[in-house]
Amino acid sequence: MIAAMFRVMALSVIRDRGALALAFLLPPVIFLIFAAVFSGTGGGEIRLQIAIGTGLQSAFSSRLEEALRNDGTLRVLPGVITNREEMVRLIQSGRADAGLYIESGPDDMTSALIRVLVDPGKMLAGAILAGQVQRVIARDLPDVLLARSATTVEQLTGGWSAQQTQRLAAALDEIQREGGADDGAAALVTTEQVGSGEGASASISYYAGAIAMLFLLFSSMQGAATLIEERHAGILDRVAVGPAGTDVVVLGKFLFLTVQGMVQVALIFLAAALFYDLEVTARPGALIAVTVVASASAAGLGLALAAFCTSKQQAQTVSTFVVLVSSALGGSMVPRFMMPPWLQDIGWFTPNAWAVEAYYGILWRNDAMQELLPELSLLASLAAVGLVASLAVSRWRLSL
Amino acid sequence: MDNRSRPLSVEGLTVSYGQREVLSGLSVELEEGDIFGLMGPNGAGKTTLIRAICGRVEPRSGSLRVGGDTGKARLKHIGLAPQEIALYPYLTVRENLEVFGRLSGLSRQIVHERLPWASNATRVADRLDERVGLLSSGWKRRVNIAAAILHSPKLLILDEPTVGVDIEVRSHLNDVILELSGSGMAVLLATHDLDQAETLCNRVGFLRSGRLAVQGAPADLVREAFGGKKEIIIELRRPAGPQDLMLLKRIGFTPDPASRTWTLLRGDADHQVNHLGAALRKAGIDLREIRLREPGLDSLFRRVLHEGETAL
Repeated sequence: MIAAMFRVMALSVIRDRGALALAFLLPPVIFLIFAAVFSGTGGGEIRLQIAIGTGLQSAFSSRLEEALRNDGTLRVLPGVITNREEMVRLIQSGRADAGLYIESGPDDMTSALIRVLVDPGKMLAGAILAGQVQRVIARDLPDVLLARSATTVEQLTGGWSAQQTQRLAAALDEIQREGGADDGAAALVTTEQVGSGEGASASISYYAGAIAMLFLLFSSMQGAATLIEERHAGILDRVAVGPAGTDVVVLGKFLFLTVQGMVQVALIFLAAALFYDLEVTARPGALIAVTVVASASAAGLGLALAAFCTSKQQAQTVSTFVVLVSSALGGSMVPRFMMPPWLQDIGWFTPNAWAVEAYYGILWRNDAMQELLPELSLLASLAAVGLVASLAVSRWRLSL
Repeated sequence: MDNRSRPLSVEGLTVSYGQREVLSGLSVELEEGDIFGLMGPNGAGKTTLIRAICGRVEPRSGSLRVGGDTGKARLKHIGLAPQEIALYPYLTVRENLEVFGRLSGLSRQIVHERLPWASNATRVADRLDERVGLLSSGWKRRVNIAAAILHSPKLLILDEPTVGVDIEVRSHLNDVILELSGSGMAVLLATHDLDQAETLCNRVGFLRSGRLAVQGAPADLVREAFGGKKEIIIELRRPAGPQDLMLLKRIGFTPDPASRTWTLLRGDADHQVNHLGAALRKAGIDLREIRLREPGLDSLFRRVLHEGETAL
């Protein structure tokens, strides 16, 4: 009897293409995508996009720039920025994950040679860049380290006599015991946050938008699936003889899902404001504009998928795939800068990426409306394309 | 009545799906208050005809008028109650009627005014505030019809309204349909329920090979087809063996594929029934029952189907 039930389940899965795909095709596909997305989170696979700048052009800065460009573990933006403010703008706009600002020559022992500038929302990027720079200097510019070390040693020993050699040995022993020798010279690399420096708020700003888009997609897909239920229940047949046909059904659902999405986003931001002091009231107009187009794009996408799918099971499979992949690639699960560059490029074609950028632009970078226009346009276009597709496919289905 | 103002006027309608012609020059007309039973085997084209009337498929040729209008304008005269319970289960009866009234193009105020009439006509007024999902099948069927009549259509299309309902509910639904017909609404009733069609319809049509093979008043059609003949019906206790089959067919009995029932049409059935029963028993056929009845729509339906199969 158990075998009979087993057979029923097996045949049901084999004969339902949606279930078959969900059961056997999607797991490895999702695994491959997620593996690629999350493999960078350990740090080893991350290829940061960085900007190099210096206020003091020197042989050292040229050598370091060349070494970093040749290294291959970092993606270095073209040119050398000569203005620190310009570098800060690059980082805050998201065009560079972090910046490397060479502040002095190797002879200057009073301050750090290199300042790593980083957005508080990407502190990991700063730590990785600092580590990579020290590795590159140790490998390609050892004389710089030696010069600084010799100076340190000279300060410790006061000269190179026999007596001092003994003192040097003792001092080195002491350095070894203490695990470092920064007393005499400043650190090689120092990290500095750009912006207000409130790291927690930067992360909260990022994830408020990221999670908002994730749930917009989930809820719109679920809500849009009622289109399939209504098709099967004969409701669309009934409505089709009405004056507006199925258009009113699709448009009504689009409007509802958009409004529902706006309420969901508002609740997420309310929670962020109450529990994490996220400042959400500073730019209500921009926030509402992004929320409207983000909700509308999720509604349009959900309705288009529901219109194309023939059964609710098929819609569940497809929408699960779309939401998971779009959210993973678009930065709703981990920030995109932590992904391999090719995934970052693909990720830019997801609504999550556009929404995340737009919300972060408002909540953290304080972008002007003009700077938000690309993301707003993309989200609005997706909403329009999704809506038109769902209207057209719903009409077409009536003639089948 | 002038063709132009009839609730439904279909002339020479031909509909094809690709190379396959589903309706071939079909013509039918419905007057006000008509209840027209559209019958035919599965795949005969009933659904295609309904879809064509509702503007869902484009005819290759022919004309279609509903309430005197053609094209999209005709749709406003149609009320459709699909075979499925096309209602929102989480909404109450009243809320469903309000929604579908609005989707029929009525203003909020008109819906409010028409709702008592529609709910009384379909006898759901007592359940207006109950959720549809919690109603029994019979009540849902009535609400399904109520949602189709709020805009007072000239043509009400009922697609298999009695599927899955018991005799009592079917009787209630028949009353509802008669009442709507009495108000002047023409009803196109697509059904497999021959008893319902015979009881309810003033006209019926049998679809076969894309055409209405016969159409007219049920009693007239039966009289024309069978004259004064009656049916001798026998029911066997067990399936007929090869010899029994040969014998029954030689006598002229036709089998009902769905049961162990065989039917013989005779002009002298009254006199033959007793003699025939004895003869069959003597021949070793184990009869459970032998009876006499006047032919009905089911007899006509079988004959039309048989003629169609023979023609093929």
